[in-house]
Amino acid sequence: MKTLLREPLIHFIAVALIVFSTYSIWTEHLGRRGETITVTEQDMERMASLYAAESGALPSLEDMAAMVTDHVRDKALSREARRLGLDQDDTIIERRLAQKMSFMISDLADTTEPDEATLRAWYEAHPDAYTTAPNITFEHVFLSTDRRAATIEGDTTTLLATLNASTPPDWRTLGDPFMLQRAYGNLPFRETVRLFGADFARGLFDLESGGEWQGPVASSFGLHLVHLVSKDDGHLRAFEDVRAQVESDYRETAQRAANEKAVANIIKRYKVEIEGAE
Amino acid sequence: MWKTLTLASTALALVACSGNKADETPVETAAASPASTAPEGAMPGYNAERNAYFGDMHIHTRNSFDAYIFNVRRTADDAYRFAKGETIKHPSGFDMTIAGGPLDFYTVTDHAEYLGILPAMNSKGSPLSELPRAKDMFSTDPAKITAAFQGVGASVRSGEKIEDMYDEPLINSVWGQNIAAAEKYNEPGVFTTFSAYEFTSVTTEDGEGGFGGGNLHRNVFFRGEAPARAFSTLDSTNPEDLWDWMDAQRAEGRESIAIPHNSNVSDGQMFRLETFNGDPLDTAYAEQRNRNEPLVEVTQVKGTSETHPDLSPNDEWANFEIYDELLASNTVSKTNGSYVREAYQNGLKLQEEQGFDPFRFGMTAASDSHVAGGAYSETDFWSKIGIVDGLPFQRGSVPMPGVTDWANQPDNQTTQNAKHWFSRWSASGLTGVWAEENTRDAIFDAFRRKETFATTGPRMKVRFFGGFGYSPDMLNAPDLARQAYAGGVPMGGDLVGAGDAPSFIAWAIQDANSAPLQRVQVVKVTSGGEAVYDAACSGDAMPDANHRCPDNGASVDIATCTTTEGSGAGELKAMWTDPDFDPAQRATYYVRVLENPTCRWSTWEANRNGTPPNPDLPTTLHERAYSSPIWYIPPA
Repeated sequence: MKTLLREPLIHFIAVALIVFSTYSIWTEHLGRRGETITVTEQDMERMASLYAAESGALPSLEDMAAMVTDHVRDKALSREARRLGLDQDDTIIERRLAQKMSFMISDLADTTEPDEATLRAWYEAHPDAYTTAPNITFEHVFLSTDRRAATIEGDTTTLLATLNASTPPDWRTLGDPFMLQRAYGNLPFRETVRLFGADFARGLFDLESGGEWQGPVASSFGLHLVHLVSKDDGHLRAFEDVRAQVESDYRETAQRAANEKAVANIIKRYKVEIEGAE
Repeated sequence: MWKTLTLASTALALVACSGNKADETPVETAAASPASTAPEGAMPGYNAERNAYFGDMHIHTRNSFDAYIFNVRRTADDAYRFAKGETIKHPSGFDMTIAGGPLDFYTVTDHAEYLGILPAMNSKGSPLSELPRAKDMFSTDPAKITAAFQGVGASVRSGEKIEDMYDEPLINSVWGQNIAAAEKYNEPGVFTTFSAYEFTSVTTEDGEGGFGGGNLHRNVFFRGEAPARAFSTLDSTNPEDLWDWMDAQRAEGRESIAIPHNSNVSDGQMFRLETFNGDPLDTAYAEQRNRNEPLVEVTQVKGTSETHPDLSPNDEWANFEIYDELLASNTVSKTNGSYVREAYQNGLKLQEEQGFDPFRFGMTAASDSHVAGGAYSETDFWSKIGIVDGLPFQRGSVPMPGVTDWANQPDNQTTQNAKHWFSRWSASGLTGVWAEENTRDAIFDAFRRKETFATTGPRMKVRFFGGFGYSPDMLNAPDLARQAYAGGVPMGGDLVGAGDAPSFIAWAIQDANSAPLQRVQVVKVTSGGEAVYDAACSGDAMPDANHRCPDNGASVDIATCTTTEGSGAGELKAMWTDPDFDPAQRATYYVRVLENPTCRWSTWEANRNGTPPNPDLPTTLHERAYSSPIWYIPPA
């Protein structure tokens, strides 16, 4: 990006000069107060790359002129505002400064490079963070309790045998109509509960995957014969596979702790008085 | 702030208003899914026979002028995060988490009038904060706050701008922020949002005062690109002018739909048989209304607008969550012209007598929450207007603090507001749609063809088909939905007669995490009247000669809210034909599904508080779903 920007920079400087001249009265006014607003090469490069990052193209001369104009305007107004003391007791400015300070601290706060043993210990202490969410891929044939009140048990047995016969008919042609889908892929446990209820979800996730049709598993709608294509109960991923995440998690936590400590140290330098407090 | 707002809100009355899935979407396995059904580029979970998706198309945030005064500070971002399952804060300080898990679609619909102006008036340094009205509105003097706020409400109602407060560039910029938030959270296949806002028209009650009057509010939402500014009552209070604007936007490629709501408190204006200015209705009016308003919101926190006991004396379930006081007042709304079922009937009358029907809309539901998150569950309710009705005593489910029984309630503004308004509000509702996949296009198309249903909170699912060639054994065919589509029309469709009586398939399944179903009904409306038929009963029972299911024995223990085990059905399904069918007469049919009775939110709150339920309120209710109608049209 930098080399790309180099070449047109000369034009930008020309533009900046034009802008300055259009602002001559303004700058003269500021100049009388002994203040100068300098638009540096770096400033212009920054504006141009910001523009390029947002729009995907380099700024035209008109764009550049507009950005330099805005920049000078903001600088002048904010200096003038500070001169008038408008920055005092402004919650937004105070918050922003506090935020900047805390960002600065987080750069400074010292954290040591974690060694392999530290990372492994972290991994072992936080297995939940490195365990995949349980999910399931299955097909099902539905039997309506309402429709088959008296015969549902026998029907289920017969249907199960049909499904597991050596040359079974297309499973989609069997059973009762079902309002939701007949097959789901990688359905998370939580979503299974939302669609079918908790009892069905538990029953389904208790099954072992395999070639045979199984069940029935009951839901509030009726009984379901299930062909479990694959199931992931959620497994702890190997340390080697998640090492980068472990390191980033460890560093983040260590950094946060260090930052909090640094903030606490700064607060300690002040005596805090709260009116009316005991 | 708390104190001033409590005072403000009690005095004022602006009860305005109008008013994901976090994890992966279920997907059909590639092997199991017939290759021919999913077009190229389809999302995982694509289903040619359509999936049910649930959402709420009516949500307010801090940028709504009334929400801000209710101390709501949550943003559109917070609203979308809530819908996707994250926990956010209520202005009264407690956590709100969505009942029943993440939603599939969600839409922020802030009031367009003075959008984002109140937050600016309350920001030190903003020029708007220097206005005398801003100083009054955010002062500590309740009289000043009320007067300042009433002034804003009156302006929204009259359409006369408060010039110094109407900062149009700011309003447009906040509108842009709401559009940007919708874009940010829209995730094809997983979570759908729309750019949308509320048009807040209110009929004049008596020409005086603030915001009080009949509700003509509607939410406008855009299929894709949204315009740079939103047409509000400060442009015109006449909804027909809104439709003109929508037509003009449409001509430029910006497609939209408006959904009116709270007809129940419209003072008979929402479905009045005249134009806004009192002229007779005509074909052009009907066409424009149907083009722009193919849907209506039938249930939400401020009551249910299906029908009223006075309009439907023979419907035993008509007296459901009736709320009938005009916005910000204690004036009872006129019944005629305020309810959906009556509008269907008047539409058929107009059709037969004059050849047009302006009321051919499908049904949706929403919360109209003003705290960024809808309260859909009876067991976890927070009503809708922030610090004004956020706590049980404010909404009359428990006695005032310091009072233990209902006989000794003090008579003050809080108890009066609870009695008239908040105790009668509902934990409702959600819109269901049948769409191929969870994308803007698929869901908007479902709205357009009215393949929608409305629920009072639970996510029961209902399908409704009508056709002439349906055979009874189809009902048990594993590919029922495919056959039903192939041989007829789904909810929202027109069924043009050929002389024979049509057959209808009414099919519902319960919310797996709510109560079982008690019955499925078909409601029939003609120009001459209405009838409610039970079509499917739980417990293997059949409707009797009066078209009623026998009592299924379901009951609720009020003291604990536990329900009868074993009664009710997980699924109900019927092939239904109209026993009173007249092939020469137009008829509008829709399905109503009733759950077994459960405790109302006010009973749950009383039990948690250890006090008896408020004797003026129903203790239980039948949660329900309404399908969009199928319109039978006689052969030419």
